[in-house]
Amino acid sequence: MKLIPTGEMTLGPFFPREFAQDASDLSVGAKGEVIEITGRVMQVDGRALDNVVLELWQADSRGRFDNPDFFGWGRAATDANGVYRFRTIKPGAYESRVPHINLLILYSGLMRQLQTTMFFELAKDPVLDAVPAHRRQLLVAQREGTVYRFDVRLRGKGETPFFDD
Amino acid sequence: MKPRIAHLERRDPATQSEGVVAGYVQTSQRWPSQPLVRRPLTSSELTGPRELMRRLAPVRGDLAGHGAKRALGQLIHIRTRVVDEDGGPVPGAVVEVWHCNAAGKYIHPNDSNDAPADPNFYGAARMVAGDSGLVELRTIKPGAYPVPDTGGWWRPPHVHFSVWGRIWLSRLVTQMFFPGDPLNESDPILQAIRDADARNRCVAQLAPTAKGPQNALVYDYQIVVRGRRATPAL
Repeated sequence: MKLIPTGEMTLGPFFPREFAQDASDLSVGAKGEVIEITGRVMQVDGRALDNVVLELWQADSRGRFDNPDFFGWGRAATDANGVYRFRTIKPGAYESRVPHINLLILYSGLMRQLQTTMFFELAKDPVLDAVPAHRRQLLVAQREGTVYRFDVRLRGKGETPFFDD
Repeated sequence: MKPRIAHLERRDPATQSEGVVAGYVQTSQRWPSQPLVRRPLTSSELTGPRELMRRLAPVRGDLAGHGAKRALGQLIHIRTRVVDEDGGPVPGAVVEVWHCNAAGKYIHPNDSNDAPADPNFYGAARMVAGDSGLVELRTIKPGAYPVPDTGGWWRPPHVHFSVWGRIWLSRLVTQMFFPGDPLNESDPILQAIRDADARNRCVAQLAPTAKGPQNALVYDYQIVVRGRRATPAL
């Protein structure tokens, strides 16, 4: 028997505040270089969006997923200025992949989840290579010390590349 | 690192919502204008958080109040079964649920609807599916409500679901609808799924009342998350 996955629908504007709290710090007790990932989420006219939910999935500092020593999943929501913030550790490379952070974006007006991936530098990587060359730089975070800035433009000028799977 | 599922099939677009939807203006401000990029799938996409409760604590499994302090509205039980594409249960699946009260008001600072709040209603629950993939929620039937500045769009009664399956790409956020509501037919969100059967699967089924609890209606609802356990035989 083959069942068809349930149709996705929008998160809507009223995602409970309590659900989006206390899950954005992955660094507690983790081994590795502690970093902050932050950015602003904007719509087509550049307006920053409040209460956007972002979920994160990443490897540990040695490139391992699902390692009992490091819980690589987190969730944050944007504030009134459209800014989200994760505290985590820098992931390691593994197999063919360079260090990267998977992000999933859920919001009112997004009928389906949006998937994107943040990279630390332009490098050879099968997922980054799938993106048209002129848009790859949009997936590279800007480093300011231990802070990596990664803005997400849902639509319009400088639109973030999103993935289909 | 071993992927946790054997096989991931691409989605059939007819069973999934369009990105930009007529009558829902925010979709044209937020859905990407560029085509989504097809990427190869690696361990990064085919693993996912196990024991999500290490990060997310359970939050009440009853939204209808306690003892005599009951929320207003029709008492209902929603029996949700989380299964994969083979129809097998997904034990341990984490399920978040939220909806408005019987008058159509959410517990949320951004809800400008002038419908009254209900002090005995809790708007949100987070639960873990048992071995049979089952999650049961006692709550009240949510009301319909008008969407501001849309010239007459009313959301039909619906319940928001957020579900984690076995891997990162099994993540599902959707809404459950109630059978027979005339507003279902004109709701841009439900109608954005073009395939009629796929739409119907987003509508819960009323269970026979003779077998259920004396004081509540029971609705059955099935959620199918992405992923198959076995590679299909050729």
